[in-house]
Amino acid sequence: MEEFKIQSLEVVAMFSLSNLNLKILAGSSKINKTALKPLDENVCEFLNFFSQKLVSNKDARKYSDLIALSFWCSKKNINKLKERFSFNEKRLGRGLIFHVTPSNVPTNFFYSLIFGILSGNSNIVKVPSNDFPQIDLICKILNEILKIKKFNYFKNYICIVKYKDENLNDSTKILSENCDLRVIWGGDNTINQLRDYKMLPHANDITFGDRYSLSIINSKIFDKISKKKLSSLIKNFYNDTYLVDQNACSSPHLILWYGKKFKSAKIKFWNELNKKILKEYQLPMNAITEKYNKYCTDLTKKYIKKGKIFSQSLYTVELNKLYLDLENLRGKWGYFYEINIDNIDEMTNYITKKFQTLTYFGFNKIFFEKYIENNKPLGIDRIVPIGKGLNIDLFWDGYDVIKTLSRVVHFE
Amino acid sequence: MEKNYIKIIRENPYSLDKNEKNTFFKKKMNDLTRYHYSKSNIYKKILNGLDYKEKNFNLEQLPFITTNLFKELDLLSIEPKKVFKILSSSGTSGSKTSKIYLDKENSIVQRNVLNKIFEYNFGNKRMPMLIVSSNPNISRNSFDAKTAAILGFSMFGTNHTYIINKKGEVDLNEFEKFIEKYSEKDFLIFGFTYEVFQTFFDKIKKNNKYDLRNGILIHGGGWKKLKNKKISNKKFKKNFLKEYNLTKVFNYYGLIEQIGSIFFECPVCSLFVCSNFSEIFIRDKNLNIIKKGKGFVQLLSLLPKSYPGHNILTEDIGEIVQNPNCKFDHKGKCFKIHGRVQNSVIRGCSDV
Repeated sequence: MEEFKIQSLEVVAMFSLSNLNLKILAGSSKINKTALKPLDENVCEFLNFFSQKLVSNKDARKYSDLIALSFWCSKKNINKLKERFSFNEKRLGRGLIFHVTPSNVPTNFFYSLIFGILSGNSNIVKVPSNDFPQIDLICKILNEILKIKKFNYFKNYICIVKYKDENLNDSTKILSENCDLRVIWGGDNTINQLRDYKMLPHANDITFGDRYSLSIINSKIFDKISKKKLSSLIKNFYNDTYLVDQNACSSPHLILWYGKKFKSAKIKFWNELNKKILKEYQLPMNAITEKYNKYCTDLTKKYIKKGKIFSQSLYTVELNKLYLDLENLRGKWGYFYEINIDNIDEMTNYITKKFQTLTYFGFNKIFFEKYIENNKPLGIDRIVPIGKGLNIDLFWDGYDVIKTLSRVVHFE
Repeated sequence: MEKNYIKIIRENPYSLDKNEKNTFFKKKMNDLTRYHYSKSNIYKKILNGLDYKEKNFNLEQLPFITTNLFKELDLLSIEPKKVFKILSSSGTSGSKTSKIYLDKENSIVQRNVLNKIFEYNFGNKRMPMLIVSSNPNISRNSFDAKTAAILGFSMFGTNHTYIINKKGEVDLNEFEKFIEKYSEKDFLIFGFTYEVFQTFFDKIKKNNKYDLRNGILIHGGGWKKLKNKKISNKKFKKNFLKEYNLTKVFNYYGLIEQIGSIFFECPVCSLFVCSNFSEIFIRDKNLNIIKKGKGFVQLLSLLPKSYPGHNILTEDIGEIVQNPNCKFDHKGKCFKIHGRVQNSVIRGCSDV
């Protein structure tokens, strides 16, 4: 690390990656250590410009996740998100953020970058070591934009890097030692491994780890649902689950059927869903034996009442009671656990720190506000309507991203 | 029924024609399903969940379980104290090991059937046997799949010679001694497909020209690794013929869960052939039975008695093939295996 201590003005304010054994996909190898203002107008404009470039790119339009990303970065969306933030205190970014992003969601690294730069930081973002065309496309567009005079300024605030996990040690060590904050996305193992690398005394980690999500459906309201609303509910549920093989942190694994009309509600809901997936969902071959195997295993468990195979793409398994290990009941590729409940209060003891998103249908927001206030469950960081499960937000995993990734300068 | 069963064991193991087999199998499989249903509580719970009623079903409708289930659960239809041998296999998916519990009786039955099928194909003369593997460390009653196969097959040979040393290399000395001593007459070579090709074939090729014309090579275990090297069964045979005059090369296929009812390839059409003791179905992505085309291999075997392994859905992709031109005119179904189902790229953000 000696080379970084050379006494030149540039080095004091800059961090250089040129001696590291890694590939820079976008941005500059010289990174500013200084911060920007959170929610800076120029940053928003930069993101909006990126959004337009992305959506007008022919190749990018082939990927639904890139279309979603493009929407997210648009001025319209960012402004909407910004509206919810008001703070009177003076804030600046924390400085240099080292992001470690997950290996199987191609666009996740860019959301992490947005979190960082919108909060006013410089960003070194490690992307997964396996190749994704989406990442290459994003980086190509990013490099083009950073060449434009107007946005050239951001070049030293963004560095997208890639390195093999074998030399995780070298690069990860040096980047960890030099950042003001680490943002880690990944499973419990990844997070624990990274905790072994030292950071500066003032630095800390923000972790977006593995989470568990569930849905609640009000059977009384569902019972009277119009045909049109039913089809949009099914579509929304499909988007939260099947679009990502039910494998996103915010995809529900457990469905709570609330109220007395659960019997007819379940039949209607699952049958409608089954119709849709038979038309639209491509179940991978290996999922077939894996799901069948899981089902057979589940059938032997005490807490399982019964199950139903609607089709190979839709399995449901009913619990006979709530039990303490709910977070380990996880399905993939359309495999759902379900239970009837009369009162949401009874859930409280079973909600752990792992719980992230509760998606709902047939409730009023106030219902949940009251629930959280009265019961104070250990987990659940988001309660959003079914269909918004995967919408990444500046409130995520319990963090107010803008505030967490920035610092307050207090005046008196 | 038992009498019939024994009679069939003693007869030609490929004797039953389609109709005879169907009648026989239907009765036998229904009996077996009911038997395991009554003996194993865990199995009973699964079958209840799969809507099994204790009545007679057609073969196609009888409930099946997956190979991986033996990794998740302890499936046995005998009292634990009757366990005589435990076969285990880790397979390729994950770190869990499957466990197959054999009692003495079932172990004997499986061995007898393997014997019957082997002798039908290769004669009952015991030949000197070259084993392309290292000498397995045999603990008393627990075997992995590889060891189980070696032990199972070694009963067909004499003078067993293991030619892979501890470093995983061919011991050319041992090999040459064996060849000198026994290659004038018929002898057996047994091994695992990949190991046979990668370690044995390549290694001895670099040395002198050996004449293995009297050898019978029997190998199994899958083509996954050789597929990457673009070695097909055809090429495999061709190479052995070209280099060593070895004409008798036979691939086998089987599950550790159904270890006795093995499938040998036909010397003429190279298809795997069902014996009286086994049956195959191919299922599509809706798990419906298909007569044509590729799909999941479901295997039925009359043998598993101490554990419910008589009706299993595998992760192998196969295809039923009729070959009317084959002079052997097999009565049992013939099939091809196309390897294991491919893992898909996982979307979403967990398990990173």
